[in-house]
Amino acid sequence: MAGLWWLDDCNETAMNVPRCHPSDPKQNQLLAALPDDDLARWQSHLEPVDLPRGLVLCESGLPAAYAYFPTTAIVSLLYMTQHGASAEIAVVGNDGVVGISLFMGGNATPSRAVVQSAGRGYRLRAQVAKDEFQRGGPALNMLLRYTQGMIEQVAQTAMCNRYHSIDQQMCRRLLLGLDRLPTAELAMTQELLASLLGVRREGVTAAALKLQLAGVIRYSRGRIAVLDRVRLEQRTCECYAMSKKEYGRLPSLPIAA
Amino acid sequence: MPILSELTKNQLLAALPNNELQRWLPQLEPVDLPLGQVLYESGSNLRHVYFPTSAIVSLLYVMENGASAEIAVVGYEGIVGISLFMGGESTPSRAVVQSAGQGFRLKAQLMKDEFNRAGPVMHLLLRYTQALITQMSQTAVCNRHHSLDQQLCRWLLLSLDRLHHDELVMTQELIANMLGVRREGVTEAAHHLQEAGLIRYARGHITLLDRARLEKRVCECYAVVKKKYDRLLPDEKAI
Repeated sequence: MAGLWWLDDCNETAMNVPRCHPSDPKQNQLLAALPDDDLARWQSHLEPVDLPRGLVLCESGLPAAYAYFPTTAIVSLLYMTQHGASAEIAVVGNDGVVGISLFMGGNATPSRAVVQSAGRGYRLRAQVAKDEFQRGGPALNMLLRYTQGMIEQVAQTAMCNRYHSIDQQMCRRLLLGLDRLPTAELAMTQELLASLLGVRREGVTAAALKLQLAGVIRYSRGRIAVLDRVRLEQRTCECYAMSKKEYGRLPSLPIAA
Repeated sequence: MPILSELTKNQLLAALPNNELQRWLPQLEPVDLPLGQVLYESGSNLRHVYFPTSAIVSLLYVMENGASAEIAVVGYEGIVGISLFMGGESTPSRAVVQSAGQGFRLKAQLMKDEFNRAGPVMHLLLRYTQALITQMSQTAVCNRHHSLDQQLCRWLLLSLDRLHHDELVMTQELIANMLGVRREGVTEAAHHLQEAGLIRYARGHITLLDRARLEKRVCECYAVVKKKYDRLLPDEKAI
C-alpha cells in the first residue's frame, strides 16, 4: 500500500494551492507547543496551504496523504451513513491536527475531513509525519494528549446527540466554531449546520430564528454573527463547558518523559 | 504467575511479542470482574489498566445531572484505561463491568513505562485506541440517525461478539441505561426481536437464537465498527 500514497491526494490537485502566504506556524497551538528543536526540524517540511471551504482533506476509508495543522481554517470530521446522512463528530481548528490516524496507526481514516470555514493552515506529508511520530518524545506525547481530548469530544457528541435539544446543540456548535476563529462571525449556511448536526434543515431554521429573535445572533446570507456570546453560553448544554475544560486541561499537563 | 492460556484469551495480550509477554507475566494480576463493578469513576486517577478475558466492560459518559450512556464497549479484544497512556491521567468516562467474567490488570506506572518504550506495545495500543475511537464515533452517529430497534441490535451484537457464548445476563433497565433511553423503549424493541424469533428474553437472560437475522436488522454501524476492529487488531502476534 505504501506505494499508493499518491493516489489519494485528497482532491487537492483541482484546487489552486498557493505556495506562500504570510502566516506563522505558531498560530496553530500544537505547532506552537512543539519544543524548539522539533519545530526547527519540522519547519522545512511544513507547507503553508490555503484551505477553501468545502475542500475534502481526507476521504473516509482512505489513508491520509498529509497531516494538516489549521491556523485560521476550521475542519469538520464527519461520519457518513450508507444513505448519505452525515453527522459531525469533532471540530478541528487552530487547536489541533487533522490526520491523527497517521500516528495512531491503522492507515485509513475512519472519518471524512472537510474544511468547513475557509482559512489557512500547514501540512506535513504523511511519510514525514509518520517518521516524526516514530521518534516518540515530546511531539508524540503532545499529539496523544490532543487525541485524548478529541476522544472526549467524540464521546460528548454521542451523548449530546442523545440527550440535548437542537436549540442547545446549535448553541454548542456555534461556540465550538467561535472558539476557533479570531472573529465573532461564522460563514455557515443553515444547510451546512443541519448536515453537521445531522438533523433536518427545518429544525435548524427554527432554532436559528429563536436565537435571532432573542438578539443572540444575527443571521444573514450564509453568515452568522454572534451578538451576545454570554447568552449563547447560557443557552447551550453542559457539553460545551465540559469539552472546553477538557481541551484546556490537556495541553497544560507537563510533558511526560 | 498467571497461566499463559488464560492470558492469551485477551487479544491484545495474545498479540504481544514474546519478549514483552515474558516481561509482563509476573506483573499481570488475574481479577474477577463481577457485574456492576466500577473499574474507574469519571474524573478519578487510574491505578490499573484492565485486560478483560471473559468480562465485558462498558465505558459510560456521565453528565452533570447523572444521566449516562454507553459510548463504547470493551471485551476480550481490548484494554480498559487508554487515557493512562494517551496522557490525560484521569478518565472522563466511567468504566463498569456489564457482563461478569475475568480479566487481568496491570499497575498504572508499569503500563506507562511499557508504553513509553515506544516499541510494539505502543503501536499495538495506539491501533486499538484508533478502533475504539471508531466505535465511539459510530455511537455518536447511531444515536442521531438510527431507530432504537436498530440500536438495540447493534448493542446486542457488539456485546455478544465479546462473549464466548450466546447468552447475555442483562436486565432491561441496564440496557436502557447503556443506550441512554427510557426503559419502555427497550422493552418494546426487545419484544419485537423476541416476536420475530431472533432472541429469547427471560428473567434477565437474553439468548441469541438467530444471529444472521439479527445482523440483517442492525444498522450499518455494527459492520463498520467490526470491520475496523478486525482490520486493526492482528490475529497473529505483532513482530
